[in-house]
Amino acid sequence: MKSAILKNTVFLIFLSQVFSGCTEPYALQTNTFDDMLVVEATITNEMKQQQVKLTRTFRFEDSAPQIETGANVYVTDEENHSYEFDENNGVYLSREAFQAIPGKVYRLNITTSDGKSYNSSSETLTTANQIQDVSVKVATKDGQRGVQINVKTFDPTNSSKYYRYEYDETYKIIAPKWANLNAVLLPPTAPGEHEGIALVPRNPDTQICYSTKSSNDILQTTTTDLSEDRTDFMIRFISSEDYIISHRYSILVRQYVQNLASYEFYKTLKELSGAGSVLSQNQPGFFYGNIKSTNNPDEKVIGFFEVASVASKRIFFNYADLFPGEELPPYYVQCDNVKFLYCFEPIDPECRGATLITNIRYNWLVYYSGSMPSYTFVPPPCGDCTLFSSNVIPPFWE
Amino acid sequence: MKKLLFLFLLVFGSAFAQQNDKTITVAFSDSDRVTAIQTIEKACGCRFYFDPEWLQKDASKISGDFKNAVLKDVLESVFNNTTINYLIDGDKVILTNNSIIYDRLPEGFFGSDVQKDSGEPVEKPVFQQQFDSIGKSVKNSNPVAFIGKESKKTPQKTYTLSGYIKDSKTGESVPNLNVRARGSNSSTTTDKEGFYSLQLPTGMNTIETESVNHKKITRKIVVYSNGNLDFDVEERIHQLEQVNIKSRKNQAIRTAVTGVTTIDAEGIKNIPLIFGERDILRVATSLPGIKTAGEGSAGFNVRGGKEDQNLFLLDNALLYNPAHFFGFFSALNPYTTKKVDIYKGSIPAEFGGRLSSVFDITTKNGDFDKFMGEGGIGPVTSNISLSTPIVKGKSSLLFGGRATYSGWILKQLDDESLKNSNAEFYDGIIKYAHKINDNNSIEATAYYSHDAFSISSDSIYKYSNRLLSVKWEHVFNEKNKGALILTNTEYKFGIDYQTTGLNSFDFGYKINETQAAIKMNYQFDKKHKITYGLSAKGYGIHPGDLRPQNPESLLVPVTIEKEKALESAVYIADSFKVNEKLLVDIGLRYSYYAALGAAQQRIYANAQPINDGSVTGIKVFKNNEVIKSYGGFEPRVAARYFLAEDFSVKAGYDKTYQYIHLLSSNTTQAPTDNWKLSDLNVKPQSAQQFSVGLYKNLSDDKYELSIEGYYKKSKNILDYKVGAELQLNQNVETELLQGEGKAYGVEFLLKKQIGRLNGWLGYTYSRTFIKLDSKFSEELVNNGKYFAANFDKPHDVSAVLNYKITKRYSVSTNFVYQTGRPITYPIGKYVYGNAEYTLYSDRNKFRIPDYYRMDIGLNIEGSHKIKKLAHSFWNISVYNVLGRNNPYSVYFVTNDGKIKAYKTSIFSVPVPTITYNFKF
Repeated sequence: MKSAILKNTVFLIFLSQVFSGCTEPYALQTNTFDDMLVVEATITNEMKQQQVKLTRTFRFEDSAPQIETGANVYVTDEENHSYEFDENNGVYLSREAFQAIPGKVYRLNITTSDGKSYNSSSETLTTANQIQDVSVKVATKDGQRGVQINVKTFDPTNSSKYYRYEYDETYKIIAPKWANLNAVLLPPTAPGEHEGIALVPRNPDTQICYSTKSSNDILQTTTTDLSEDRTDFMIRFISSEDYIISHRYSILVRQYVQNLASYEFYKTLKELSGAGSVLSQNQPGFFYGNIKSTNNPDEKVIGFFEVASVASKRIFFNYADLFPGEELPPYYVQCDNVKFLYCFEPIDPECRGATLITNIRYNWLVYYSGSMPSYTFVPPPCGDCTLFSSNVIPPFWE
Repeated sequence: MKKLLFLFLLVFGSAFAQQNDKTITVAFSDSDRVTAIQTIEKACGCRFYFDPEWLQKDASKISGDFKNAVLKDVLESVFNNTTINYLIDGDKVILTNNSIIYDRLPEGFFGSDVQKDSGEPVEKPVFQQQFDSIGKSVKNSNPVAFIGKESKKTPQKTYTLSGYIKDSKTGESVPNLNVRARGSNSSTTTDKEGFYSLQLPTGMNTIETESVNHKKITRKIVVYSNGNLDFDVEERIHQLEQVNIKSRKNQAIRTAVTGVTTIDAEGIKNIPLIFGERDILRVATSLPGIKTAGEGSAGFNVRGGKEDQNLFLLDNALLYNPAHFFGFFSALNPYTTKKVDIYKGSIPAEFGGRLSSVFDITTKNGDFDKFMGEGGIGPVTSNISLSTPIVKGKSSLLFGGRATYSGWILKQLDDESLKNSNAEFYDGIIKYAHKINDNNSIEATAYYSHDAFSISSDSIYKYSNRLLSVKWEHVFNEKNKGALILTNTEYKFGIDYQTTGLNSFDFGYKINETQAAIKMNYQFDKKHKITYGLSAKGYGIHPGDLRPQNPESLLVPVTIEKEKALESAVYIADSFKVNEKLLVDIGLRYSYYAALGAAQQRIYANAQPINDGSVTGIKVFKNNEVIKSYGGFEPRVAARYFLAEDFSVKAGYDKTYQYIHLLSSNTTQAPTDNWKLSDLNVKPQSAQQFSVGLYKNLSDDKYELSIEGYYKKSKNILDYKVGAELQLNQNVETELLQGEGKAYGVEFLLKKQIGRLNGWLGYTYSRTFIKLDSKFSEELVNNGKYFAANFDKPHDVSAVLNYKITKRYSVSTNFVYQTGRPITYPIGKYVYGNAEYTLYSDRNKFRIPDYYRMDIGLNIEGSHKIKKLAHSFWNISVYNVLGRNNPYSVYFVTNDGKIKAYKTSIFSVPVPTITYNFKF
């Protein structure tokens, strides 16, 4: 008799630690390290001493790369003219100034001190194209108000197409709590006594400074998907809360017209530095530039020899012009006043003479106002901008 | 034995005087035979002796009009096409079923060696006495079956016996059952419908069935002519201890194809698995040649194939994602799944569209006779399956449903971000089966699975499979059968990304395919079995759009163009039995693919790498205009040669094309990976596999030993440029590389299916390489040399062993060892353009640590009393007994300019589970 079967299954489970996934540090195999030559070489159509940088890859535990010294570096053109480069302060500069000429074919050659030689593929100068305009406007990005700086170009021949940008930004800094006096320690009058405090005039050149920073991001755009070779590319966005635009700001935009291969090289470099999108990770791996070892085809070399036309443009703006009547952005450090009473009563918590002396000795705080026995001190950058910047007015500053 | 007695009384007691020349006049129209006999009785004044049951079996109507006809002629006409014989003895007409009544003894009956020369060959009659005594000694209650109609003139030596074999309990057809005739070489296995066909000599035969899962059935058969015999087989009670990979007994050495495995859903109960979930696909990975990239990885790698190269068919419809919850659970309901046939080599010509393998999953049919149910409540999921007849004996419905409450598991985790995660899934299946008549049947399946999970609290990922399948089977005649199959599948996923900022978006992807196929079977003769058919499939992909949810969002909405294509194929295959030793399967498939508009496709410059810069133009295609077509012949050849009765050698060659690709830059398949159709810039993949194998059965078929080797070459295998971004890329071809692949391996498998100790031991040595070479540096990976693929794991050992301590207790273990998979390491840093970058090694140059794991299960069965309330079955299992902290992935985080490596593992401690089953 085949009777209906009802099968019931009941699962019971003991849970000590059921789903005990875990993440733990994993010893990286450092013996995996590969020592490779890294070549940064962009020859432009500017008449100048052209520059080539040679470094080595370095281990995770090291902080900076080693410079490849003693190499023989030269650029040849199709007429077998050779431009020699000499090592100078960690970079290789061409012995004489020269510029890349349109239509000529250039090739980079390197022989390192250990006798290995490398050369690049042959490259020609890209289309020269001027920057039409560098524009500045107040805009909102990711919910943040700030200054948007765009660069505009147009190539009527439609042959530039790939652009890479670099910039140097220079900004004026005024130490917000600068005082014309500075506090110094006086030696104790007698052994066992406390050190005294004297106020001396401060160097007036510590109030206004100029900092210059170079872009370290890879900024690229292409017009291949546009009907016209015209760009309006946002090169920089500065939050209105950023102290660097507090007073006067200048940006020098350099535009390199790239070719397809160099564009792709930089694009990959940039993609690899990011973690990938929310959706999926990037494919990591080693990628090749256009420089190869002539002795050993399997040796890996990082870098690209680029012959690019360059154009540059500098602009200035003031905070007050863009944000009239608005409060200045906060300084880059908090400039809170710290009050001290120069006295040494152990039971009185207000008496902090010893702390004050220590702060002056180690320059932890600098003088702002007050006189014996009551002083107000501030963090050093608030009173002296030369601690982190330069008081030399840049030659281009206007 | 009444009939026999009756027969012999007649043979010896009847008068020899004949009145066969008596004429009668009679007419009947459209009447059944009993009525006809009554009419004849009246007309001739004679009396018929018979058992009405014989005639009730055949309900066909007859007509006849006889004027002064000889009674013999009338009877010939009436009993034509039946198994009834007759003897006219005066005014008595004696009918017999099957047997013939001899009115004289055959020549030589009394030992006379005088041969009378009669012009016609006369077979010796079959006297049933000679085996009556044998019948008694067999305990089997099955009576002797009489097949066909005995004739005095028997021109044939052998006849064909065919029929259907069903499971006595479930009423379902039993495929892959070995049926053989005792004492002769004749044997066969049942096909998918449980159909068998056997050549038997005239007379007494004993046929028996053999299978691991079913009791042995022995039937005595008296064969008179071609005929039918359907019978039932009973499931083995002690099957609970039996594990699993049901062998088609002798099948391994018998068939022509290499690399075929069948996993029977019922048979895998004992294998210890995580959370006590019975998972047919997970068991598959313990077989040589089938691997996953890691625990919790959804995809399978079969013989060096990528995850997207497996054809998962659920009742003939394609299943795009057969996994739930990152691959921890398969999306197949274990209670409704009947079995999976896995082809990892020698893929039959009827299948196509994927390079590496076919997972042909069949759902059970509902019971035709009674209401049945099965259910399970587990720590992670709950399960129910119900089966009911709609029209008794004709149609049935099977329903299966499963849902999870796995959310609490995530809550147990220490990790803050995972604590806020959530995961849920469910799936449901309905199957309708209808037997219209003996020649027509219909099966229809509807399936839906849904997953939703959020990894961090701000994003919800969802994906779902939906499929529909209808199959109409028709038997044209004894030699021709056919099936018409219509299927539709949809896979979609979506991401709902909710951040506090303005960057909220949602994103959706959808692929839909519809297929119509005709599959025909033609049994040409004893030597040729021909299958042929054709199919056409339409694809539609909505690759998705990103919709910012905040009107002020700066995210740019992205919409990626729809893709459309048509894939069709015709095939013909012949299974040709050249002689007793050599069997050759020759198949040829031709597939044709056309990518269709409306679309805009970029044209890239010749002899330039495909990237944004080498675009020379955009071509616009109108709706349904052919963008690009591809096609090719896919020969499939397999041969088997018997070196000895239990030792065979096989070789196979097959070529496959694949027109659809999964874009996945993750090491493991993710549910959010896109499928991409071949088009102007993405070529179809193709592969060729050569395989050879030796199959040997030892110690009276106790052990099955096989060694298979393969070499595979593939073309246009998809890979990605360094730094590739695949999602929401309008021109994804610029990130793709198509390279060459090669894979080879040796697979060793020892199976023991009977005895106290049973199970199997597999070892695979295999390598998989990819080569991405180009004259352009951006398309070059590892300097254009072959490198190990993501899932290249050279050594793989897996063992599944069961030991039956007593009838009630058994222990099972499961052991896996695999070489760690390759990985691309960060190996240092460099400075470029004032910024620091990470230096990566060559692709897949290093490996993560090796993987090994052991699981143990103890199975305790309730008492074996036949009369009891419920049949109980306990399973206590411990997953990862050794507590091995197997790495799932190794990843790198840059923190304060320092790169740190982390290793994640999923189950780092032993996980115990107790399961209690009961059945009544």
